[in-house]
Amino acid sequence: MKQLLFLSTFLLSCLAGIGQEVYSCKAPKLSFFSSAPLENISASSERGVSAINIKTKAIYFKVPMNTFQFKKALMQEHFNENYVESEKYPFAEYKGKFAEDVDFSKNGTYPVTVEGVLSLHGVEKSYKGKGTITVRDGKFNVNSKFNVTVADHKIKIPSLVVKNIAEVVEVTVNADYQPVTK
Amino acid sequence: MLQIRMLTALLLVAPAVMAQDDLSKMFGKDSVSKGPVIATFKSTRIINGQSNETLKKGELDFRVAHRFGDLGGDAGGSKTFFGIDNSTDIRIAFEYGITDRLMVGLSRAKGSGNFSQLYEGLAKFKILQQTLDNRIPLGITVFGNAVVTSMKSSTVESDAAYFDNFSSRMSYTGQVILSRKFGNILSLAVLPTYIHRNRVVHMDVNDMFAVGVGGRLRFSKRMALVVDYFLPFREQASKDYFEGRGVKFYNPLGVGLEIETGGHVFSVNFTNSTAILENQFIPETTSTWLEGQFRWGFNISRRFSLGGK
Repeated sequence: MKQLLFLSTFLLSCLAGIGQEVYSCKAPKLSFFSSAPLENISASSERGVSAINIKTKAIYFKVPMNTFQFKKALMQEHFNENYVESEKYPFAEYKGKFAEDVDFSKNGTYPVTVEGVLSLHGVEKSYKGKGTITVRDGKFNVNSKFNVTVADHKIKIPSLVVKNIAEVVEVTVNADYQPVTK
Repeated sequence: MLQIRMLTALLLVAPAVMAQDDLSKMFGKDSVSKGPVIATFKSTRIINGQSNETLKKGELDFRVAHRFGDLGGDAGGSKTFFGIDNSTDIRIAFEYGITDRLMVGLSRAKGSGNFSQLYEGLAKFKILQQTLDNRIPLGITVFGNAVVTSMKSSTVESDAAYFDNFSSRMSYTGQVILSRKFGNILSLAVLPTYIHRNRVVHMDVNDMFAVGVGGRLRFSKRMALVVDYFLPFREQASKDYFEGRGVKFYNPLGVGLEIETGGHVFSVNFTNSTAILENQFIPETTSTWLEGQFRWGFNISRRFSLGGK
């Protein structure tokens, strides 16, 4: 009975503790850049969401595709209509984990290796990439860059515009996290 | 003991579940895609009629529309190479997006029918945009233009082109464009239209209502079938009078293929109307598909981004 009580208390404290383990970001800066012979394309969105569980090291991102802002309005339309088909596949989602131990109680910059699955344009593909976690006064920032090959996600570039659009785009993630308060 | 085991199992499972599921479920409310529906139509025109689309802020659209001569009938056939030797109307326009919802434009059209040498000033404004979550199921856009003819006045007072003052050179269009995109393939528009012409010939009407319908059927990522049709409401007495003098009015119907290539939109089309501007093709179409009096034509749009965001 004592054990049961102990376990129950432990379980309850564990559940309550999850609030402190999960950190979220309501406006991660997500952007991508591609360089092609005819023109560079870049777009960014701050309308996604992200969360990190520092205990389990799980990382989660979700962004509505139609919130990416381009420099040219036509590019934005083509991106949504012809390439990522954002009405059919409205979100990009990333579920991953970082491998290294990070001391979230100590200020500093920690290099991490992140591995996870990106779901984009209805196609899931796993990625492994490097990034940094910068801890500052109980909050932290995550920064990462990785390359996405558009063909891997069944995004077709017609031969007519192949000089305008690169096959590989560099994705940049920059997000500030705060503890989730319930 | 069983309880302890269950609890232990739960304890072990709980954080794992939380870790994977909780993170994505934290944001469950965002599962419906929001924002305006884009690309209901590919261009600011369907064929003859306006679409709900406007240019985005800082975009300049250079447009050329051309209508050739009758493909068949008395004026067509091999002697005019099926109308290609002739042109019934040509319009060259510069249009510009002041905001993402408001565009203005200036154009010059050759003009067909009673008046030629036309200058047009236009404005188009998106009042409502259809949204992806269907909170707003319909797009509402308004369009208006003012057209002036610069042709020389006739000396015969009963002519349409007799101008005793400047205002008799003017005509106007007011239009509401109701649009909806159904899924990713079909877009429809209904266009209640009002035309006012200051100067018309005897028994013609100064004010005219018309209803247009238009549609776009996308059959590949870059190609679509476009159609538009206008039903002008002309008084019976006016119809009878003109018919007695050998002039019959028809409803303009356009059918076209729209091809998008990036910055360009080409529309290759066939229509029985000889004119391009609303002020003329709605009240003054007197040629009919049934007698081969339709023509091929094209609309070309080239968009330039000035400035950007």
